[in-house]
Order: sequence, then structure tokens, then C-alpha cells
Amino acid sequence: MDALEVKGVVKRFGDFTAVNELSFSVKSGEVFGFLGGNGAGKTTTLRMALDILRPDAGSISVLGKEPGRGHAAEIGFLPEERGLYRAMTAFDTIAYFGQLKGMGTGDARREGLALLDRFGLGAQARTRVDRLSKGMAQKVQLATALVNKPRLLILDEPFSGLDPLNQGLLEDEILGAARAGATVIFSTHVMQHAERLCQRLLLLARGEKRFEGTQDEARATLPLRLTLTARNSPAKLPGVIAAEARGTPTEGWQDWDVKLEPGRSAGDLLEHCTGQGFALRGFEQHRASLHDIFVHIVGAPEEPK
Amino acid sequence: MMRNILLIAAREFRQIARTKSFWLTLLILPITFALTPLITRVIKPDFHQTVMLIDHSSTGAGKAIMQRFDFEQRRAELSAIAAFAADNKLDAGHAGWSHKLDWYPDPLVAQYIAEGGAAPALKAIRAQAPKAAQGFSLPQPNYEFVPTPAAVSELPIAALDKALAPYLHPSRESGRKAVDYVLAIPADFGAQPTVRLWSNGQPRADFMAMLQAPLTHMLRAGFLASNGVAQPVAEAADQLQPAIAITRPKEVGGREKLLVQSILPVAMTYILLMSLIMSGQWMLQSTIEERSSKLIEAVLACASPDEFMRGKLLGTIAIGLVMIATWVACGLFAAFATHGVIADFIRPALEPLQSPGSIAAILYFFLTGYLMVALIFLVIGAMSDSMQDAQGFLVPVMLVLMFPVIVLMQVIISGSNSIFVEVLTWIPLFTPFAVLARLGTGIPTVEIVGSGAVLLVFIALEFVMLGRVFRASLLSGGRPSLKTIGQLMRRA
Repeated sequence: MDALEVKGVVKRFGDFTAVNELSFSVKSGEVFGFLGGNGAGKTTTLRMALDILRPDAGSISVLGKEPGRGHAAEIGFLPEERGLYRAMTAFDTIAYFGQLKGMGTGDARREGLALLDRFGLGAQARTRVDRLSKGMAQKVQLATALVNKPRLLILDEPFSGLDPLNQGLLEDEILGAARAGATVIFSTHVMQHAERLCQRLLLLARGEKRFEGTQDEARATLPLRLTLTARNSPAKLPGVIAAEARGTPTEGWQDWDVKLEPGRSAGDLLEHCTGQGFALRGFEQHRASLHDIFVHIVGAPEEPK
Repeated sequence: MMRNILLIAAREFRQIARTKSFWLTLLILPITFALTPLITRVIKPDFHQTVMLIDHSSTGAGKAIMQRFDFEQRRAELSAIAAFAADNKLDAGHAGWSHKLDWYPDPLVAQYIAEGGAAPALKAIRAQAPKAAQGFSLPQPNYEFVPTPAAVSELPIAALDKALAPYLHPSRESGRKAVDYVLAIPADFGAQPTVRLWSNGQPRADFMAMLQAPLTHMLRAGFLASNGVAQPVAEAADQLQPAIAITRPKEVGGREKLLVQSILPVAMTYILLMSLIMSGQWMLQSTIEERSSKLIEAVLACASPDEFMRGKLLGTIAIGLVMIATWVACGLFAAFATHGVIADFIRPALEPLQSPGSIAAILYFFLTGYLMVALIFLVIGAMSDSMQDAQGFLVPVMLVLMFPVIVLMQVIISGSNSIFVEVLTWIPLFTPFAVLARLGTGIPTVEIVGSGAVLLVFIALEFVMLGRVFRASLLSGGRPSLKTIGQLMRRA
């Protein structure tokens, strides 16, 4: 069963189309990245999955059912714009959200305390939120999303505004939740996090889907890049679409930046060189980063805020 | 659904109940009730004045004046004892204090004195109501005759102007209290009517009346005797005075009664208005906090906007009802478990509000009034990112709400049941205030039921239309224009 299935969803705000004919699915148990620049439609899509907004067209299925608060007990959600009740204690805040998600008072309190201990905030459990440091408050916010041990964890730009320590904590929590069998969907425009965490990706631009699949599948859409050290130009070799000399030759050996046609493998080229006696002293394959893929598919991402 | 509403309401309640302003507002009435008797005792105006009497005559005028002052003091005692006995339903038998009257004529005062004055009356009071009697005390005399120093009493009246100055206006160093009045009766009083009075301020009217009565009596008696009228006839002629029978209708029509009956309903209107404004402000602040600190999205992932709205309303109404219940309990406690100024004030004012119908109407209009105004505050909070934003909406709303209600209270207290009050009763925004205020002076049942039904329909419309504005405003940024609000109200 898909944890989330979106079919032909459209969402407009007046004349502005925020999401246009969007379809994708997230399988149970996978860590799924929602990538796109600001205004790509990430938050709007997630809000529709949570029934905070209703689509104008199309359908959404969450854990096999229509979106609604009936799922609250199975969903953990960390919004992009996060806040806490300033006059409540850290412990009360987590317990309150646990109860809103259908947990019993005792369970919500127990799990809240356990999370605070796990995040190193056991001593601050009874401290009012407005007396916590920003980093501590961020941990409390994360705990409100995790308190019900969700089957589906939806995180909207979860890394934005986090200090490096809390970014590491969040990555650990995402991986931990995935190991425990939860499905994790998170939106981001910071590619490094997605690259480290995501099994599958959705790339969005201006409310439309540009790509859905694994990172390897995404890389396959880019021409493969190699650095060869050869006596002769590799431009005529089969599958090579561009070869550019780099630096000055040393004892007749020249470094070349080479681009292969999409779908050509580096192994085929190496086999051809060996078979045809094409002299090589160096053969290095470059793995495309998610940033490169994003730029290739969507265009330059905006700098993180 | 109900669970989420209750959770949100409980959180709202706890947040408001933790604020200092809530406790200050809650306790202001009990503190006022507790302090009023103390304050009235401490700042009670000092009516006590001193009189120095210099009598050079041989007519006994000075003694007659002192007797008259004493007689008036007994009259005041009799009035206080009779009022206390009537309030506590004591049995006075045939004693002079057995009837509570607005004025006690001289023969009744004479009877009271002949029966032994205050002592037997107090004994009877203590025997019948020992607890209540502890809080009762006789009125203190307003005037005290102080001894006349020999150095003054022996001086001729012409020399007194200078000699009395240190007594009327003593220097700070002397440590002496000023004498308020000095009365000098010359030796030839009777042959001529002049007496001299020195005062360190404007003489009181009652003092002058008490002074004038015995002196007039003596002058008349002297005049009649010198004109050949036998003394017993002259005495009898002087005793002739009209017996004024005072009648006050027991029920409707008395201005005082109308005022007393209006006071509590008008106070309830004021309490409703004040508690609404206070709890509305608290809810407004908490909604603004939720919106400005971006909390709402996390809450809306767990609870629907309708649950959120109803939970917040319920929490605020609970806060308001706790305040009102506390104030009412304090009022009832003060009325029935204490004796004093507050109890004397509240007990008669409760009379028109004791029927089951009145109690049901009070509860209904309190609750609906709360719901109606709290909804407006809630939506203002949902549309504002800061208190400054909210002021833009709040100021006109408060003006529209408060001005007519304040005028209404004035009109009701003045005893007028004008067309203004009747019109206000049928405008839903003012219905709860108008009905509550009119309960004391009488409002037809059909008006209560009719205006209550109109109010209910208005609240249902509010829920639909303001609910739309609330839902649409929760996640949008900035303050919407009036045009946008109008569009949101119409959008299903």
C-alpha cells in the first residue's frame, strides 16, 4: 500500500495556480524527498495531504484513506513555520500535541518525557518554552511531531533554521523513524540533506512535477562525466558527445573532460579503449550531485534562507 | 471531535487562568466587598461636632437647648433600633421601636424615653438575635457639649470675640482641638431675642434647627405670658404642631424602590460587558500568539478549524463563567452571610431576580451574550498578526458595543423605559445587555422570548459567516481589508 498517493491534483489561490496536475506516490517505509525552490508547491501539496487545504481537482490518498483528522494518530507533522505556546512548559506542549493526536493523557506524558530525555532536555521538561534557548525550542517542536510514533512523518522544510547540532539530530531521527518502519516525507530546497537521506525524490517547479524516482534514476537523466588522461583526443570515441582538454600536457599525456551521451556507461567506453588500444593513463568517473541533477532538471535552486 | 474541542478549550482556559490579569480581574469584586465596610468605617465623614455653651441668662435657655439636642439623639437611636428590628424580624411587642417608620414624631420618642431608652431595646435585641446584634451599634451623637472654661464663662459677651479665637481656631502648638460652635445667651434673653453664635465653619442646618426650637419656644412663651395669656395655655399653644403622616407606596412606583430594583440588573449588564471585554481580550491575545508564532498549522494538522474555533470559544466562555460565578457567589455571600453596607444594599436588590423565569433568562442571556461577542473577538484575533493590527478592528467594535450599553444603563437607572431601550432590546448585538438591564424594572415575557430567539438566529449566522472568515484567515498573512472580509463572509 502507498503511504501517500496524489493523482492529478490542482490547487489554485485566485488566479494563481500553486499546484498543477500533480501525480506521484510514496511507498510505505521509504524516505521520500520533496524538492523544489520557493513557490514550487511543496507546502501546498503537504497541506493538502494533511487536509489543511482542499484540492480544487484530483484526489489524494493518505495511508489508504482520504485526508482528514482521522489520521492524526498515525501522522507526525512538522510545519515549515514553527512556533510553540510560549507560556507552556516543554513537557506540557508535547503532551498536548500527543493528546490532540488521540493519545491518552498517560501515554502522551510518558512519551513526551522519553523524547525530552532522548533529546537531552530532561532537566528542562518543566521549563516554560519562552525560557528555552532557540535550539532547545527546536527540539521541542520536533518532539511534538514524533510524540505519537507516527507511521507517516511529514516534515515541511525541517532543516530550515536549525543549528548544525539539531540538523544532525533531525537526520538521525528521520533515519531512526525509517528503520522503525515509518514512511518519511520531507520537503527541502537544501540538496545535501536530501542526497544523504532520500531513497526516492520528487522534483517540483512552479507547481508541476519534473521528476519522480530514485537518485540513480535521476542521475541517469544527466550525461555521464569522466576525466581521461590520454595521448590522443577521446572526442571520436563512441558515445562521447564532448571532450575538452584541461591544463597542459605532461610528457605527451593530456587530461580531458569528457561527457557521454545519456544512457552510455563508463564501463563500455573503458572496454572499447582497452580493445582498440586507445592508450589511457587515467580514467575517473564523476558522480553527479543532487544539486547538479536539480539544476539540470529544474533550474538553479534558490539559496537557502 | 468533542475530545479535541475540550482539549483546546482546556488549554485555552489554563493559559488565561495563568495570567496575573485574570486573577486581578477575578478577585477585584471579592476584595471590594471585603474592603468596603473597612473603607466606609475609615473614611466615614466625621459628623461629630463640639458645642460650648455660655448661658448668662436666668431663663434656663441653656439647659433647654441641651435637652433638645439629647431628645434628637434619642430620636436617631429609636430610628436605628426600629430599622434593625424590622430587618431582622424581631418581636418588639408594644415597645416604641416596634414599627419601622420614616419619621418618629415627638410623642413616640417621648414614649421610647419613658420606656427606658436604648437599654431595654438592646437587651431584647441581644436576646432574640445574639449574632446579628454583635454587628449593631447605636448611632453616635453628632453634637457634644464641651465644658466652658471659667475664664470664658465669666467674660461679658462683648469681650468674647477676642477670647474665643484660641478655642475656635487653636494654634498647632497648643495641641487643642477646635471647638465647632460657641453659643452665648445674654442675660437679657427673653426681653430681647438675640443670642450670639460663633462657628469655625458654616453652621449645619440640623444644628440651627435644633438650636432654634427651644429658643423659639421660650420667646413665644414669654411673649404670650406678657400679653396676659395664662402659662398653661401658652405652653399648650406652643405644643401645637402638625402631625405629618408619611406614606410610601409599598410596591411599584416608588422612585427609591425602582432604583434599588434596577441596580442589580444594571450591575449584571456591567459585569457581562466587563467580563466579556476582559476575556475577549485574553482570547484575542492567545489567538494572535497562535497566528503570529505560526502555531496554527501544527494544531490544524490534528484538529479541524471548526474544532479549533469551538474549543477556543468554549475555553473563553468557561473563563467568563468562572469570573461571573465567583462574583455572584461573593455577592450572595455578602448578601446572606454578612451584615453591613453591602448586605443592606444587595438583599433588596435581589428581590426581582428570584423567580425561576428570571434566573433562566439571566443564564440564557449571559451565555448567548458571551458567545456572540466572543466570536467577534476570536475572528479579530484570527485576522491579526499583532495587537496593533487587532486595534484597527477592535476600536470600532468596542465603540459600537460599549456606547449604547453605557447609555442604556444610564437610562434604566434614571427609571425611564424609553423607546431607545425597547429598540435596543431587538438589536441582537445589544439584546443580552438590554434584557438583563430591564429585568429589574419589568420586561414583557414576549419580548424576552422574541428577542432571545432573534439573538439565537443572529449567533447561528455569526457562526456561519464569521466562521468562514476565521477559517480563511488562519493561515493567510497580513490584515484583510473590509472588502475582503465581506467577500470571505459570502464565500461558502
